[in-house]
Amino acid sequence: MRQQATDPFQAIADPSRRAILQMLARDKLTINAVAENFDMSRPAVSKHIKILYTAGFISITETGRERYCSLRQEGFTALQQWMAYFEGFWTEKLNALELHLASAASAKQKKPKDKKHLSSKKKISKR
Amino acid sequence: MNTHPFVIERTFNAPVEKVWEAITDKDQMKQWYFPMLESFEPVVGFQTEFNVRFEGKDHIHIWKVTEVIPNKKISYEWRYGGFEGNSLVTFELFSEGNATRLRLTHAGLETFPPLADFARENFAKGWTELIGSLLKAFVEQ
Repeated sequence: MRQQATDPFQAIADPSRRAILQMLARDKLTINAVAENFDMSRPAVSKHIKILYTAGFISITETGRERYCSLRQEGFTALQQWMAYFEGFWTEKLNALELHLASAASAKQKKPKDKKHLSSKKKISKR
Repeated sequence: MNTHPFVIERTFNAPVEKVWEAITDKDQMKQWYFPMLESFEPVVGFQTEFNVRFEGKDHIHIWKVTEVIPNKKISYEWRYGGFEGNSLVTFELFSEGNATRLRLTHAGLETFPPLADFARENFAKGWTELIGSLLKAFVEQ
């Protein structure tokens, strides 16, 4: 039943679809119950639900005659992994900054060595 | 999308101090505004949360006071728990002899999700009832 996957970022780019996810975070809902919350046609809501489904954000289970939508982790995991890279990136940069500041502070106490290093660098740039 | 703030003005037959109390004192606010309000202080930075159950759905209201000029103006952020968006509600009072003119401005309604519950018409209806009828009756009693 799964179709071609939708880009999870494209799936959450629409405010209506984000609102659907926020509603489902509270409780699982039938497609009709979701539609009741919007000033848009039921087919339009169904289309949004289909996009969220193919992007892995929701599951649809049939109970009797009703189809229930509930949150599914897969789509969120994809977003999280993307964000996690930058979290790692910035954590690394901040650690490096901390080390740099610590070494700069200790270098201040060992002035002569530092001066020598700086003056040799100046010569090179003058050329 | 309508990004203009919602504005309503009403004049009450009551002095400005009395109207100020009605819109900033928790016990008075409970009587005409939100009976479920648990705490409120007209102090910048004060934050409060309360649940309004409407048609079987919970709406967690989260307010944060951003500006206070006693007897003149109070503003607070108004958002909903678990939903995007943040709005700003401002009450301004103008003394007119023994009467008080109140201007209510609710800005940022367009930042809420496109759900029927957050539709502009619902806010317009709510404020018209609150300011036009309930607060008026409360301060003029």
